[in-house]
Amino acid sequence: MSQPTRHPADDLLLDYGRGVLEPGRSLVLNAHLGVCRACRAVVRAVEAVGGVLLQDLPPSEMAADALDRALTKLEVGTAAPAARPPQPSDWIRIPGEVVDAARRGRRWAAPGVWVANVTGDARRGPRSYLLRVAAGMAVPRHTHDGGEFTCVLKGAFEDRGVVYGPGDFVACDEGVEHRPRVTSDGECVCLIAADSPLVPRDLIGRIFQPFVGI
Amino acid sequence: MYAIAVDHGGHVSGGGVFRPPGRRLVNEGPHAAGDAFAEMIAAIAVRADREAFAALFGHFAPRLKSYLLRLGAEPALAEELAQETLLTVWRKAATFDRARAAPATWIFTIARNLRIDALRRSSRPTFDDDPFDAEPPEAPDAALAIAQSETRVRAALAALPVEQAEVIQLSFFADKPHAQIAEELRLPLGTVKSRLRLAMGRLRGLLGDLA
Ligand SMILES: [Zn+2]
Repeated sequence: MSQPTRHPADDLLLDYGRGVLEPGRSLVLNAHLGVCRACRAVVRAVEAVGGVLLQDLPPSEMAADALDRALTKLEVGTAAPAARPPQPSDWIRIPGEVVDAARRGRRWAAPGVWVANVTGDARRGPRSYLLRVAAGMAVPRHTHDGGEFTCVLKGAFEDRGVVYGPGDFVACDEGVEHRPRVTSDGECVCLIAADSPLVPRDLIGRIFQPFVGI
Repeated sequence: MYAIAVDHGGHVSGGGVFRPPGRRLVNEGPHAAGDAFAEMIAAIAVRADREAFAALFGHFAPRLKSYLLRLGAEPALAEELAQETLLTVWRKAATFDRARAAPATWIFTIARNLRIDALRRSSRPTFDDDPFDAEPPEAPDAALAIAQSETRVRAALAALPVEQAEVIQLSFFADKPHAQIAEELRLPLGTVKSRLRLAMGRLRGLLGDLA
C-alpha cells in the first residue's frame, strides 16, 4: 500500500501515544496510523518511552487483598479475539468502531452527501463523524471553531492547492479559512473529529441549503 | 517466588504471535529484566502460570496505580484499572509478541487503553483495532532491535539535555495542559513547547529504527 504524504505533527503523535487525546481525535489518528509506517514508528517509540517511565514510577500501595482478588478472577483458556467487522474494500483500513458507524448511521444530508456520527454527541461537545461527498463537489469557504482533524479514507479532495489522498491526515487550526473540493475522479469519504458540535450541521446547512432545507 | 532472569528466550525469527522459546539466544545485558518479564508472559500463555502472574502483578500493579493516579484517576479507580490491566495481560498473554514491544511497553499500552475506555464508558474499546495489527512480521534485525528497545530508550532519554528530559518526564504522565507544566517549571509556555518538540525530535532520531 502506498504511504500517505500528509502526517500529524510529532506533538499529536506524542499525545496519542500517551493516551490523552480526545477519543474522536484519537480515532482519526488511529485511522492514519493504520496505513502509515513512519508515524507508527514514532508512536512505537513514544510507547516505549511510556514503558520505561512506567517502570521508573515510584510504586503506590495496592489494597492488601489486591493480588488475591486478581488470582480468583483468572480464567483458563483463551478467548478468541473479536473478529473485525468487514469494511468497505475500497477504503483504507479503518478501526472497527468506524466500520460500525458507517453501517449503522448514514444520514443523507444533501444530494451526494452523507454523514455518520462515530463518537460523541451529535449536538454538543467534541465528536467525530464520517463525511461522504460526491465527486467534484465543492464545499463553500468556511472556518472551524476549535480546529478539526481529518483523515481521508477514500478518494481525494483539494484544498488551497494541496491534494489530500487516502490515508492523509490534516489538522485545521481554529479560524483557518478553507474551501475544499472533492476531486473529479470519485467520491471522497473522510473521518473527521471536531471540537465544535454544531459545525457539521451548520456546515452542511450552509453548503447544501440550495438543495434541501436542513 | 518466580525465578527472574534465568531464561533468555529465542526471538530471532520475526513475526506471528507467541513462539515458545526454541533456540536459545544468549542476551546478557541491561534488558535482562525485560526478558524475565517476557518469559513470565510466555509462561502465562503456555501453561497458565499463576506464579508468573503474581510476579508480574507485584512489579507492575503498584506502578500502574501510580501512573493512573498521576493522570487524575480516583484511588479506587486507579486500583481497579491496575488490576484490570494485569487481568488483561493474563487473557492476552498469547498475543504478546516480544519482537514488537518490550513487556513494560505492552503493559503500558494496555493500561492506557483501559483508562481511555473507562473515561468514555464505551461499550466498544477505543483501541480494539490496534493499527499495529496490520503490520507485516518484523525482519529478524528489527525484531532484535525492538526486543532491546527498553535499553535503547533508557539510553536515548539519558542522552537528552537535562531540560528536555525534565519536560518529557513531567508531561508524559500528566493529563494537563502544557501551560500548567510551564507554570510548574516557571518557564514561558513557548519554551516548554519548544523543549518538548526538541526532545521528541531527538527521541525520534535516536529511536527511529524501532520501526
Ligand atoms: Zn504518518
